[in-house]
Amino acid sequence: MTSREMLLRKISTYAFAIHEYRLFLDTHPKDEAMIAKIAECEEKLKPLKKEYEEKYGPLKMSNENPRKWTWVNDPWPWEGE
Amino acid sequence: MFVYEKRLQYPVKIKQTNPKLAQIIISQYGGPDGELGASLRYLSQRFSMPVPELKATLNDIGTEELGHLEMIGAIVYQLTKNLTEEQIKAHGFDSYFVDHTTGVYPASAAGVPFTAAYIQVKGDPITDLHEDMAAEQKARTTYDNILRYCDDPDVIDPIRFLREREIVHYQRFGESLRILTDKLDSKNFYAFNPSFDKKCFEKEKNNRK
Repeated sequence: MTSREMLLRKISTYAFAIHEYRLFLDTHPKDEAMIAKIAECEEKLKPLKKEYEEKYGPLKMSNENPRKWTWVNDPWPWEGE
Repeated sequence: MFVYEKRLQYPVKIKQTNPKLAQIIISQYGGPDGELGASLRYLSQRFSMPVPELKATLNDIGTEELGHLEMIGAIVYQLTKNLTEEQIKAHGFDSYFVDHTTGVYPASAAGVPFTAAYIQVKGDPITDLHEDMAAEQKARTTYDNILRYCDDPDVIDPIRFLREREIVHYQRFGESLRILTDKLDSKNFYAFNPSFDKKCFEKEKNNRK
């Protein structure tokens, strides 16, 4: 596994946990403990995303570098590279 | 609206091509219980959902299904990458190849193109939520059947992830149905359409006053 894949895997792990808490909250919107867990995960996810985007380019188009357009760069997610 | 994130929900990295397996797995792209149908079903049904929790659940699960569609597309793409003409013929992929080459086309394993007839939007949330729970179980069975044909751990891993998501979504839709029926008078469960016949929520509204 490349260091890029490793970092992306960490990002996806926290992002998935957050997604799961959110779906749970859709049917249990008053569960404050779950809301707190999202904040915990967000705190871990934020620096990972920042590191990834600095090294490998934007995950979201809105986070693109203001001076050059790297969004188009390979690989795209479905390419498995 | 939707914003794209340049990553898969769960990683797909397949080293060994396998056109036979691709032809089976494509059913979860455009087949009767596939991810395209799932996303269209939930994102269309959400418009007529009467309760906030239900709107959120349909919206957010429907969005996740688009991510699953992308994962299945990635699996099919990677399983058919760099195929030789001999491999295509030897693995029985020629019947797909003649129409789509190695493009990813929404069709079932038997080659039937995707149709909106696979889904329903009944405009009655009790009916729609029952369909959604059934849809999750049908997709789960399809993934179970796909796993019978998988011996490549690179394919088994993401397929298992997708199978587990069906079970979680089934749970959330079950809770959604309960949230809805809890808001109804037990006498009018099936006498009214909670989306169309607004008066079936009157009792709850009166209670709030």
